Amino acid sequence: MTDTTATMIPVDDRGRREAPAIVRWLRTRAAWILVLDLVLIGVFTALSRDNVFGSAANFESLLLSVSQVLLLALGLAMLLGAGIFDLSLGANLVLSSVVGALVMRSFQQTPGDSASYADPGAVILAGLAAAVATGLLFGLVNGLIIAFAGINSLIATLGTLGIGTGVALLLTGGSDIGSLPRVLQTAIGLNSVGIVPIPAILSILIAILLWAVVRYSRYGLRTLAIGSSRSAAERAGIRVRGHLLGLTALGGALAGLAGFIDLTRFGSTVLSGHANDALGAVTAAVIGGTLLEGGKVSIAGAVWGAALAVILQAGLVILGVSSFWQLIVVGAVLLVAVMLDRLAALRRSRAVKAD
Amino acid sequence: MVDAAARTVRSESDSMENSTPVVAARHIAKRFGHVQALRDASVSVTAGRVVALVGDNGAGKSTLVKTLLGINRPDSGEVVIGGHVVDLHGIRDAQARGVDAVHQDLALAPDLSVVDNMFLGHEEVVGPGLLRRRTMTERADAALRELGIALPSLTVAVRELSGGQRQAVAVARAVMWSSTAVLMDEPTAALGARQSEIIADLMRTVAARGLGVLVISHDLPRILKAADEVTVLWRGETVLEAPASDLTVPDLVATMVGYRAEEQS
Repeated sequence: MTDTTATMIPVDDRGRREAPAIVRWLRTRAAWILVLDLVLIGVFTALSRDNVFGSAANFESLLLSVSQVLLLALGLAMLLGAGIFDLSLGANLVLSSVVGALVMRSFQQTPGDSASYADPGAVILAGLAAAVATGLLFGLVNGLIIAFAGINSLIATLGTLGIGTGVALLLTGGSDIGSLPRVLQTAIGLNSVGIVPIPAILSILIAILLWAVVRYSRYGLRTLAIGSSRSAAERAGIRVRGHLLGLTALGGALAGLAGFIDLTRFGSTVLSGHANDALGAVTAAVIGGTLLEGGKVSIAGAVWGAALAVILQAGLVILGVSSFWQLIVVGAVLLVAVMLDRLAALRRSRAVKAD
Repeated sequence: MVDAAARTVRSESDSMENSTPVVAARHIAKRFGHVQALRDASVSVTAGRVVALVGDNGAGKSTLVKTLLGINRPDSGEVVIGGHVVDLHGIRDAQARGVDAVHQDLALAPDLSVVDNMFLGHEEVVGPGLLRRRTMTERADAALRELGIALPSLTVAVRELSGGQRQAVAVARAVMWSSTAVLMDEPTAALGARQSEIIADLMRTVAARGLGVLVISHDLPRILKAADEVTVLWRGETVLEAPASDLTVPDLVATMVGYRAEEQS
């Protein structure tokens, strides 16, 4: 074999020395958002009456809110990593919760009586399966439209956002479905281990799993490859369309799970409460450092980003600021995040041109 | 370990080094809508040899290479790999037969590291699809070293590399996964003189390892020096196949454009 020792390609290592792990971590967006989270918690605690924002009870309720935003943000982060978008997550959540509720209600023995379920455990499992399966199917439909019909993901999911919301309203006639098994709330939604609600534990476990997938698995590598350059992924022999279908199914299933968590929190569907879910999920994923153009996912960033969205909303409530302002603040935070994104992209392209 | 296995495959192809082509296209025709991209295009590549595919713009060079890779399906004619007529349904079919390519746009994912790019589609995993990054890094390092390519780091994103470095990574990746032939579509188009020289040397190194090399190039003086054989395409037709040593640049230019002059007269 030719063992050429000479350096054929000029080496350019202008001071590219590895920084210590802690310094490298501090340079990540996720680290900055975590610091911002902590600062905001401090500020809101100091400003709230009797420092109630810093109380264990408030943390418990914050974590419960985070669990749903986070599930949507995680799915969205994975999709963004592969370069596709999903506007329909909120609609998916609602439709999945409706189907889950309807399935559970079909086992009810006395109409309107939340105590009249013969085997609540089995009924709840059926509801969970129905909600997750609905979400997964919703995602698959998105995936088929995006990957196989070749329609832009923004337009595709804008379409399914409308359809999903409409179907949910048709199924319910526009009024929420209640009188679900009581254990749904007592055992899951309003049950905690310490101050950590069961739904939050679930979301955090899924976040850890996806973090490992992105960082250490072939699936994560291929997801990022598709987002970074779809044609490069195709030329490398990856079945891109099948992969995208899998991702949209995953994002959908997570939205379905978030829909089920809705039922466990409130004991009923919440048809009107999710119009701004997509806003929260996009904010969480993007502010955490996941790139809109694809090729880069930060799961840790999505976790701290979801926390930021929830902390901001809750903090403003506790300070007695009108709820209308919450929307404005979260929207503004999203814009700031996207602008930071643009700046980073500009700096990158300049660095490339300088070569 | 795995490297040893790869070498055995190559020494087998070394022993096949005779006049039998490892990769060939015979009488390929291909039409895209109203455009007859290829009429009667043939080319053949022998193990250990560098074959230059030249021709004017629109002569069908890239289309022919894409046909050999299974990216295009020919309307008529046949593709032969390893002595067998094959029906390729996609690039995966060509890769499965040991043929890989350096594409015109390099087909690298800019956000991924050098190692991840080199193993994309061929990842080494354990258990439920977990990457063996240590092994992958060692193998990538060995593969680059063998070709005499030095990079500042294998873990930096490809977007941080210079044009020549990216080109070298694309070549090394194709060589790593080829056991039969490497096809290169204008590997030096975007490079400066010095880097083009390096890539030309790289082609010779690759051929010396027993692989067939097919290269599209517009850089006639350089490719005449680097190639063993030259195939000239003119309007989708193969009009000349000759040893490079028998040709001069003016000869080649005359063949590439001469047919056009003849037709116009």
